[in-house]
Amino acid sequence: MTSIEVRDLTKEYGTRRAVDDLTFDVLPGRVTGFLGPNGAGKSTTMRLVLGLDRPTSGSATLGGHAYATLREPLRHVGALLDAQAAHGSRTARDHLRTLAASNRLPQRRADEVLEETGLAAVARRRVRTYSLGMRQRLGIAAALLGDPGVVMLDEPSNGLDPEGIIWIRRLLRRLAGEGRTVLVSSHLMNETASFADHLVVLGRGRLLADTPMREFIHARVRPRVRIRTTDPAALTSALARGGHDAVEHEAGHWTVEHARVDDIGRLVSAAGVPVLELSSEEATLEQAYLDLTSTETEFTAQPQEA
Amino acid sequence: MSFAPVLHSEWLKIRTLRSLPGTLLALFAATTAFSAIAGGSETSDPEFDPLFMALSGVMPGQIAAVSFGATAVSSEFHGGALRLSLAAVPRRGRWFAAKATAIALPVLAVGLVTALAALVAARAGLGDAANGLTSGEQVRGVVGCGIYLTLMALLAAGLTALLRSGAGALSVLIPFVLVVSFVIGDTAGGATDFLPDRAGQVVLYETYDGSLGPWSGLAVTALWTAAALLAGAWSLRRRDA
Repeated sequence: MTSIEVRDLTKEYGTRRAVDDLTFDVLPGRVTGFLGPNGAGKSTTMRLVLGLDRPTSGSATLGGHAYATLREPLRHVGALLDAQAAHGSRTARDHLRTLAASNRLPQRRADEVLEETGLAAVARRRVRTYSLGMRQRLGIAAALLGDPGVVMLDEPSNGLDPEGIIWIRRLLRRLAGEGRTVLVSSHLMNETASFADHLVVLGRGRLLADTPMREFIHARVRPRVRIRTTDPAALTSALARGGHDAVEHEAGHWTVEHARVDDIGRLVSAAGVPVLELSSEEATLEQAYLDLTSTETEFTAQPQEA
Repeated sequence: MSFAPVLHSEWLKIRTLRSLPGTLLALFAATTAFSAIAGGSETSDPEFDPLFMALSGVMPGQIAAVSFGATAVSSEFHGGALRLSLAAVPRRGRWFAAKATAIALPVLAVGLVTALAALVAARAGLGDAANGLTSGEQVRGVVGCGIYLTLMALLAAGLTALLRSGAGALSVLIPFVLVVSFVIGDTAGGATDFLPDRAGQVVLYETYDGSLGPWSGLAVTALWTAAALLAGAWSLRRRDA
């Protein structure tokens, strides 16, 4: 299967550097989450990969080939860039049929992907009547049309209802499971955490991280234990003897930083402290991301144009 | 990537956008109707030209041809449609050539049928006044009219690609086509004869006395069209989609 190779990629619009010397690979068989605030350069990078925008310097290739040199590119790469790309006056089916014809894909593929994306019942309705969620599904249908080995989706969960979000999560997992290369951009952390295996994080056009998601989280967020007791004095002295600091919270529970639940459980049990609740607080992608961007403060709260 | 599938795709795009076949229908209806009216009206103009009188419906009708060319291209400049098209067909020159072909062929076909219908409709009203027309002149008028409409549609298509806006192209072309022709009219000679519409319209007259003949006039229009298409293709290839 094909991977996406980005090498020293830079794109300037006038004086603004939208993409700044990016180098990373997107590998097959896993879902790569493409994270960053709005304006970080995610969409620009995708357009550069598709040869729609010309890089100022550097290159983006697919299995070593520039996109523009691909014969019948829809058979290799499927992309959703903009859910508004379908003309409002065309039916979804006609929209997909025009795309299929250009790459000599059989017309039945249009009906197959409409079925796959849950649009079969509305396939003959004009796109103008579609909700944003339906347009997203149509954009994803267009991306899947050529049964491509590489799938790139820009903010695919935009406008999807909860059912749609679960659907896209399963779809992405399945595509990666089939050995395809899947790159999905998002600015929603919890959403990305639910499907990504690997992360590429951008800030102001620059690469901030390119790591497996678990590693990204564990390297940045320390484990924490949450505990509730009827005897705070006994708890704090037991923890102090074990070398841990406990912090009391208004809700009546305590937290212990840099600690694992296995150690704290044994410790308080040996000291005979009555325990009402003991749990480890899972580190989230959101915490890890905020930790990353707070060390790079120039990347936060800097709204830019997309 | 070969040309035929791209042309097929572009043809499907035109066929499946309801307003586009509708515009061609308007081209036929407006041209034929205005020619029929012109044929039926009394005239005492000593410079009366029966061929132009019969084909005069083209003057309002060409607006439909121009709109067709502009709309077919401008539909690509809404909400990322162009990106989707160029992701499917990254060879931009080839893509634009297919687009232009998919515009030209239906306009030519409808233009020829329209010119023939207009001539027949107008002759019914003109009666004896049109008896002086030779069959050669009538064939030249009909074929020339079809080519003229095609060139005007392509001119609009090229301008739309250059300006990235159908409204922009129409706001340049419609005043150009309508106002210049009506305001300057038949009085001015010289440079205005070489404007794209006036040069191409020589083919619609039985007699002509300017610097351009019917075919050299169409050739001048073709040069304007070629320039617009090349400028559109250049813009498309050079700029980010």
